Amino acid sequence: MWKFLLPMGAFLGLAVLFALGLNPNRDIRALPSPLIGKPAPQFTLSVVEDPARSFSNASLKGQVYVLNAFGTWCAPCREEQDTLLEIAKQQVVPIIGLDFNDDRARAQRWLRELGNPYTAAAFDPDEHVAIDWGVYGAPETYLVDTHGVIIFKYISPMTLDVWQREFLPRIAAARKAGA
Amino acid sequence: MRPAVWLLLTMLMLGSGWGAQAYAADVDSHDQLVDPALQARFEAITKQLRCLVCQNESIADSNAQLAGDLRREVRTQLLAGRTDAQIFDFMTARYGEFVRFNTPLEGKTLAIWGAPFLLLLVGGFVIFRVTRARSRLPLDDEPSPGSPAAGNR
Repeated sequence: MWKFLLPMGAFLGLAVLFALGLNPNRDIRALPSPLIGKPAPQFTLSVVEDPARSFSNASLKGQVYVLNAFGTWCAPCREEQDTLLEIAKQQVVPIIGLDFNDDRARAQRWLRELGNPYTAAAFDPDEHVAIDWGVYGAPETYLVDTHGVIIFKYISPMTLDVWQREFLPRIAAARKAGA
Repeated sequence: MRPAVWLLLTMLMLGSGWGAQAYAADVDSHDQLVDPALQARFEAITKQLRCLVCQNESIADSNAQLAGDLRREVRTQLLAGRTDAQIFDFMTARYGEFVRFNTPLEGKTLAIWGAPFLLLLVGGFVIFRVTRARSRLPLDDEPSPGSPAAGNR
């Protein structure tokens, strides 16, 4: 009996493995972030618009917020800008921009020309904060709950579909848990 | 099995990993650390950290912006007197175990490290079973007692 079951089991195991591995919807470059479930790294940076004005994510304590890492050098970020504007219009949560590895003048022009979806756009020229958050590509979008814990990370340009499917339910749940 | 055989097997397994690692010079070699000991550690560490933008390169080899920034981070931390282990911990805390090319041997990685040896055992067992079963079979060209004369197939 085991002479039949063993190859059968091995085959089924491989089949499951391949089905998972070859799933076309899976982004093989997307890595699970070790920071999920961990407190969001604190930062204080100047805002893109004004080097003299600073922003700290400590000011968002007790609030659910989204942090979107972007840069003007990143083509897919341009792609998601319309979606972010649309999301900002819904006024569900504050959207914090983290502009890393960038040139301030270029970033200012970007926000002027494409529109500014951010409650605050923090300017991180040498990527210190981005490294703390484990950003390795752009755009990356993080969701932080009322306790300041990162609960979700999405790598790739944001779409309304992803926003509705992945973010809104988590935001609602985080608010319920935090209240 | 004799120790020499084990050694050979282990070397074969490790060899496949070594071959994959390119020995390219540090990309921004103009930015060397003054202390040669630190520079040596810097090179060793950056060769063991994966560049996450171009996943099959180490940050020592990669030209990606992120790799450059991570090299700078390693350099800064070395100058601040942090140990290799602390630097690896810093990277894993942010980018996950995947950032390390050399998987540390610990509880949760036991399966990865143990799998080759386990497979070797399973394979050996299968070969042992098959050969033993075959050795019990009568040889084709030897007429078994009581059968018709040889050559009469």
